[in-house]
Amino acid sequence: MKLAWQNISHDRARFLTTVLGVSFAAFLMVFQGSLLAGFLQAASRFIDASDFDIWITARGVQAFEFGATVESRFRDLAAGVPGVTETGRACMAFSLYRKPSGKQQVVALVGADSNLGKDFPVPDHVERVEDQSPDSILYDASDRGAIEAATLPAAVEINGRRANIEREVQGYGGFLGVPSLFTSYRNAARYLGFGPDDGMYILVRVAKGYAVADVQQKLRERLPEVDVLTREEFAHKSRMYWVIKTGAGSAILTAAVLGFLIGLVVVSQTIYANTMENIEEYATLKALGASRTFVARIVLIQSLICAAAGSVLGLLTVVPAMKYARILIPWIHTPWYLPAMVVLASLAMCSLASVTSVRSALTVDPGRVFRA
Amino acid sequence: MLDELLAIKDARISFGKGNAQVHALRGVSASFRRCTLSLVTGPSGSGKTTLLSLLGCLLSPDEGKVFVDGALVNSLSENEKTDLRRRKIGFVFQAFRLLHSLSAIDNVALGLEIRNGKQPDQIAAARDLLGQFGLAEKANHEPNDLSPGEKQRVAVARALAGNPSILLADEPTASLDAAAGKNICQILRNQVEQNGKTVVVVSHDPRWQEYADRTIVLGDGQIKQEEKVAYS
Repeated sequence: MKLAWQNISHDRARFLTTVLGVSFAAFLMVFQGSLLAGFLQAASRFIDASDFDIWITARGVQAFEFGATVESRFRDLAAGVPGVTETGRACMAFSLYRKPSGKQQVVALVGADSNLGKDFPVPDHVERVEDQSPDSILYDASDRGAIEAATLPAAVEINGRRANIEREVQGYGGFLGVPSLFTSYRNAARYLGFGPDDGMYILVRVAKGYAVADVQQKLRERLPEVDVLTREEFAHKSRMYWVIKTGAGSAILTAAVLGFLIGLVVVSQTIYANTMENIEEYATLKALGASRTFVARIVLIQSLICAAAGSVLGLLTVVPAMKYARILIPWIHTPWYLPAMVVLASLAMCSLASVTSVRSALTVDPGRVFRA
Repeated sequence: MLDELLAIKDARISFGKGNAQVHALRGVSASFRRCTLSLVTGPSGSGKTTLLSLLGCLLSPDEGKVFVDGALVNSLSENEKTDLRRRKIGFVFQAFRLLHSLSAIDNVALGLEIRNGKQPDQIAAARDLLGQFGLAEKANHEPNDLSPGEKQRVAVARALAGNPSILLADEPTASLDAAAGKNICQILRNQVEQNGKTVVVVSHDPRWQEYADRTIVLGDGQIKQEEKVAYS
C-alpha cells in the first residue's frame, strides 16, 4: 500500500532508526543463536560424527568429554548380541602435551577406531596404511597457535610418550579451552595408560533388518553394568549436560533467550513509536471514514516493511561479524535455517508489535481531528 | 427524500467529571436543510466544534438525538458511524490535516480510495478534482510545498472526493490570509450552488456571513441566536 510505504519513507531518519533497531535485533538473534547452535553442535560433535547406532558408556557418563573406563570385554559381549554387526571404540581424556619447543600444555586427546565414520577425525582413516606413522596425531586448525608445530610432521610428547603431529583437520575446534588432538584408539589407549582390559566408549552398529531400539534393549539386558544409549540419546544427553548443567552453557542459553527478548522489546518499541508518530494521521483517516481494516493494514504493512528491511540489513552485517567471531570462537555455528528463522521471527515480532500499536491507532478518537 | 439532511434534537453533552465537568452543549436543537450553507459561530468554548463533532458522527450526545439523512446516529455502532461518515460526510479542518507523506494528488486519491475502495481510475479522478480547484500543476507537490490556501483547497478536494452530500468545515479559513480565505468561502458556496451539497461551517470569521444561508450563534452550550439570511 502506497500510504504505508510513503509514511515510513517520508521521514527517512525515523525509518532508518526503525530499520537499525530491527537490524540490531536480527543481528543479536543470529549471533546469540549461532553461539547456542555452535555450542550445542560442539557439545555432541564427536558423537554425531560417528555413524554407529549405539554407544555403550560407563554408568552415569553425562558427556563425551567426561568419560570413564569400562571393561573392554563388554565389546566382545556386545558383539555377540543378535543384530550387532560391528563394534568400534573411542576414548577421550585430558593429557599433557609437550610442544616441540619443550613447553607443556594440557590437551583433550581423542582416540577412535578408524571404522567410526568418515566424519570422525582419525588418522588411520584418511591416510593409506603404508603412509601411517604409528604415533600419528591430528590437530584442529583453530588450535594451530597452541600446538606450535611450525613444520609437519613435528615430534612431540603426550603424557611422556613420543608422538608425531602429522597434519591439520578443520571444524573440530572445541569450547573446552584446551587444544584437541586426534589419534587412533590404539595410540590413545597407550598415551592414556589404559590397561589391556580397559576401554571407554564401545560403539555398536546395528545390522540391517534389526530395530535399533530392540538391539539397545538386548544390550541393556546383556550389559546391566553400563549405560546403553542410541547415538541420538547420547548426543542429546551430552548437549543437555553442557547447556543445562554447566555455567557456561546456561550463560549462552540465557544470552540467547535474552537476545530474543531484547530483540522483541527493541522491535516492539520502535514499531510502536513509529505508529504513535503518525497517530494524528490515523485519527484523520478514521474521521474520513477509513475502516478499521484499512487502518490496521497500513500499520501492519509498515511494520512488515520495517521488519523485512531491518532483518535483511541485520543479516548482511552479521555475515562479516561471524567471520571475525569465528577467529575467536571457532565452534560458533550458523545453521542454514537460523537466518530464515530470524527473518520469520522479525516479521512475527514486528507483526506482534504492530498489534499493540494497531490498538492505539484503532482506538484513537477521531474527534481529535478538530483540535488544531 | 427528507428536506432536512442533518438534525440534532435537544442534544446535551458534557466532558470531565466533578468540579472539572464542562457542559459543552445544553439542549441544542437545530436542523440543516439540503443545499444550504449554515454558519455556526460563537465565542471560544461555546460548543461549536462539539456540535460539528455530533453532526459528523465523531461524538455521541449524552442525551438527545442526532439524525444524518434520516438515520438516528445514536443507535449506530462505531463501525456503522464510520460507514455513515464514509458514505455521506466530507470534512475540512482548520489545520488541513493532509497526510504529509503523500502528494496533493495522493491525498485526494486516498479520499477516493477510502470512499470507493481502490479503483483503477482514482488518480485520474483525483487529478480532475484538483483541476477544479486550480491545483492541477501542484498535483505532485507535497503539503509542505504548498501555501496554506493551496493546502486548504487540496483538503476541500479530498473532502469532496467520492461525492459526499454533506461537507462539515471547522474553521476552514482561520489559517488563511484574506485572499485565500475568500477563495475557500467561494469554493464552499459554489459546492452548495452548483453541486447541491449541504455545508456546515464552524467559524469565527465574519466573512462567512456573506456566503451563508443562515447563521447559528452559540453561547455557553446553547443556541443564542438564529438568523436566516438569503444568500445573494
